[in-house]
Amino acid sequence: MPLLEIRDLEAGYGPIRAVDRVSLDVDDGELVALIGANGAGKTTLLMTISGVVPHRAGSIRFAGSPLGGLEPHQIMRLGIGHAPEGRRIFPRLTVRENLELGGFTQTDRGRLRSDIDEACGLFPVLGERLEQPGGTLSGGEQQMLAIGRALVGRPRLLLLDEPSLGLAPLIVAKVFEVIASLTERGIAVLLVEQNARAALKLAARGYVLETGRITLSGTGAELAADRRVRDAYLGEG
Amino acid sequence: MQFFLQQCLIGITNGALVALVALGYTMVYGIIRLINFAHGDLIMLGACLALSLVSGFGLAGGGMVTTWFGVVLLVLLCGLFCGGLNVAVDRIVYRPLRNAPKLAPLVSAIGVSFIFMNVGLFWLGPADRSFPELLPPANLFAGEGLQFTAKDLLVLVVVVPLMICLSLLVKSTRLGKAMRAVSQDPIAAALVGIDVDRVIAFTFFVGGFLGGAASVIYGLYINTISFQMGFQNGLYAFTAAVLGGIGSIPGAVVGGLVIGLVRALSSAYVGERWTGAIVFAILIVILVFRPEGLLGRGTKEKV
Repeated sequence: MPLLEIRDLEAGYGPIRAVDRVSLDVDDGELVALIGANGAGKTTLLMTISGVVPHRAGSIRFAGSPLGGLEPHQIMRLGIGHAPEGRRIFPRLTVRENLELGGFTQTDRGRLRSDIDEACGLFPVLGERLEQPGGTLSGGEQQMLAIGRALVGRPRLLLLDEPSLGLAPLIVAKVFEVIASLTERGIAVLLVEQNARAALKLAARGYVLETGRITLSGTGAELAADRRVRDAYLGEG
Repeated sequence: MQFFLQQCLIGITNGALVALVALGYTMVYGIIRLINFAHGDLIMLGACLALSLVSGFGLAGGGMVTTWFGVVLLVLLCGLFCGGLNVAVDRIVYRPLRNAPKLAPLVSAIGVSFIFMNVGLFWLGPADRSFPELLPPANLFAGEGLQFTAKDLLVLVVVVPLMICLSLLVKSTRLGKAMRAVSQDPIAAALVGIDVDRVIAFTFFVGGFLGGAASVIYGLYINTISFQMGFQNGLYAFTAAVLGGIGSIPGAVVGGLVIGLVRALSSAYVGERWTGAIVFAILIVILVFRPEGLLGRGTKEKV
């Protein structure tokens, strides 16, 4: 049984059906990429999994239990972390407070401290800026903080929304290196990316989302070699 | 000089009371960007309860210890009452409108304000009611010429510890951190596992509790309450919150003190009837030059 199992999901805002009969699986400890153009519905899909956008039809099951009707904070407590689009760190809280809030549900102070240390181990720059307000960090640092904050919550599945958006290539490489290492820690990742080349290189499997529907799926290598993917997303041909 | 100091003392005491009410506006605004127009009338209802309790328990005419114990009890009971009522209003009126256009909860708040005022009219009757003098009028600064009575002491004894508790709550506790997180980005807060609705309810409770405490002090300090007291007091407190920078907790305190001082000094040196005009003129001038208020944060933010 997959860790995350989505079947015939429909969701959206008002009359707009941004996610249209989507079915998708993520296995335990697996890195799955979701690629697609702007406005294809990738962010809405992640927000629906997290419960921020309610779903109208279909089902989402996580570790066997249905997520329908649960509030975002309840879904997070089941083990789904989310580093959202636009990073959404708390700009007027310090880096330390941002990370502590990532572990809001952790009641053991000692474990919270070691989880924060671990996040700073992955992204050493966060450790150097613990007392600085989050809003004063650079874009790349804010992205690291968003991922670090989600990791402090000890997710079994991490939803990553466009982690490379707007970052310098060197920083992108660093962020992707950390993302790749997450599966070794047993964390499953659903990675939404416009940078399809890098995402498919990392991913065990991938899906292509077009105007709310899954149009292609396969292993990362299969998709990267697919003619349609190369034309539309890899800027070749 | 003596006279000036006396006016400042009056101003600070009055301002502390304004600040306590202003905190209720600023906290609710900070967390859901709503000007809770019912806040002044909530405090009027707190004063109704305080008066009923004082009459019911026959608190007037007790000894020193009984009186102070009674006052503390009043502050607690009225605080819990106003806090609970505020939470109920949020649950019943504002929460269903959380995702509605901003104007809907705002108009509803005005509606709640009218409902409260009518409840107050029913409770108190249409006339002003005098609130019993529980505290001895004797001057605590014997022979100094400055008047500082047990009533003035009461204001500071209640307000200062409440403000210290509030700032500790917001700065250092897990719940306080959650409040700040929700105020900055409710969706991100939910994504890290914070129950946003509960944090909002808690904020309404704290704001209401401070208002309830203010209502008791108001009764004991001003000694007259009426079903219409909520409007004017609410307006001054709201002005204080805007002046200090709405959403900012220290801003509400500073704004309250500024308003208290300006009111006292203008009543003493210019004339009571000009006080309202002067307070609001100062508000307009400050907002022209510093729209975010005295301690409000600037609009510069990195994206």
